[in-house]
Amino acid sequence: MAEVLSVSALNRYVKARLDGDDFLFDLALRGEIANFVQNARSGHCYFSLRDEQAAVKAVMFRSDARRMSFRPEEGMRVVVRCRATLYERDGAFQIYVNEMFPDGIGAAQLALEQLKARLAAEGLFDPDHKKPLPAYPQCIGVVTSRTGAALQDIRNVIGRRWPLTRLLLCPVNVQGFEAADQIAAAIDRLDKSGRADVILVARGGGSREDLWVFNAEKIARAAYRCKTPLVSAIGHEIDFTLLDFVADLRAPTPSAAAELAVPDRGMVRNEVDEIYQNIYEIMQNQLEVCYNKYNTCADLLEKGIHRHILDGGRAELARLEAQLPLLARTSLNEGNRRLRHAAALADSLSPYRVLARGYAVVCDSKGEVRTVGQLCPGETVTLRGAHHTAVCKVTSVEETDESAQNL
Amino acid sequence: MKAPKTFEEGMTRLEEILARMQSGETTLADSVKLYAEAAKLVEFCRSTLDKASLQMDEIDLQLSMAGRQEGQPEGSEE
Repeated sequence: MAEVLSVSALNRYVKARLDGDDFLFDLALRGEIANFVQNARSGHCYFSLRDEQAAVKAVMFRSDARRMSFRPEEGMRVVVRCRATLYERDGAFQIYVNEMFPDGIGAAQLALEQLKARLAAEGLFDPDHKKPLPAYPQCIGVVTSRTGAALQDIRNVIGRRWPLTRLLLCPVNVQGFEAADQIAAAIDRLDKSGRADVILVARGGGSREDLWVFNAEKIARAAYRCKTPLVSAIGHEIDFTLLDFVADLRAPTPSAAAELAVPDRGMVRNEVDEIYQNIYEIMQNQLEVCYNKYNTCADLLEKGIHRHILDGGRAELARLEAQLPLLARTSLNEGNRRLRHAAALADSLSPYRVLARGYAVVCDSKGEVRTVGQLCPGETVTLRGAHHTAVCKVTSVEETDESAQNL
Repeated sequence: MKAPKTFEEGMTRLEEILARMQSGETTLADSVKLYAEAAKLVEFCRSTLDKASLQMDEIDLQLSMAGRQEGQPEGSEE
């Protein structure tokens, strides 16, 4: 057994051994951030870096931390340049970080998060901006690959549920160098064509990297610009892209997007039948109401009003019939009376009555009545009395003296 | 009453007719007319639902890339 050491001596020894190692003096280390804290007063950062099996304590002094271009977060994968050594006081093995970078996908993820924050601040994700989908789209614009499974899924679902619509495919590459440009252009193209009532932007499942193109800012902006309601359907349920946040509706898969975009024809058929049933019942009901009203009126007419008028008429007729003989007799008597009166009057005026009293009428040879003054001497006249006639010869005609006349 | 061009038009008109008849303010003569119209619309809607088959057209990215951009049915499904 060698000499007995103090703790300080041990730590100093170990630290010296570590510091003497060139490899440990400047190394690049990959890991995931855990328990990150930044001391508010000193500005120094304390955290751990870890992988699946192990962890190491880490310190980053304020002067170095200040140069970081991003804010480290829990679970973030990073690569650091550091020096590994021992903190003598605590005997703690730890690293002193000079520089920190997001690691691989981490860098892209970080850029995405920052883009997302920027677009959110600009209002691209505002719920107020989201447009409702049409109930019965006439035409559905589809932005996807002509050969992909997504298009087949959409055709199958829509062909089954709502074949009344048309699909308008704007084929694009959904991966590769030009994919983002093409997808954004296709959204613009379909929107400006004015033919689509709703646009589906779809891509089947794939790796995170495969779907990454849908995080492109130009696609997000094209979707925001788009006046036609837009549904995003990228990958599977668990995959989220920037487009999903901008879209008016996010569907978990292309098939689901197709389901969301159109109604189900079986259900709609039931709706039509139900409306018709309602209309039919209202019609029947109204007819019944009208029949009832009509019947009531008809009954009234037949039983009440009609009979009443008829009965009144009959009574009047009977009354008049009863009066008729009396009226006829009265009228006849009156006629008789007037006739008798007229006859008596006529009788009293008859010239023959005058003749009966002894007068005579002078007539000439032709039988015409003559006044005495019209006669000439020598003329033959006839005197007509009541019962006899006498033929006379006029011997003279003299004017009578009025005063001597005494009848 | 003119014949509907699309299913949606027919459906919208049917809903209108239902609302009018439900209002209880239509005369019997109007109701009979509306009912006759509804019967035709239902016929139209049902046959539209039954007979439809999905059509697909293609549109190219650029207007200048004319060719098959204007409504050429690319195929149909039952």
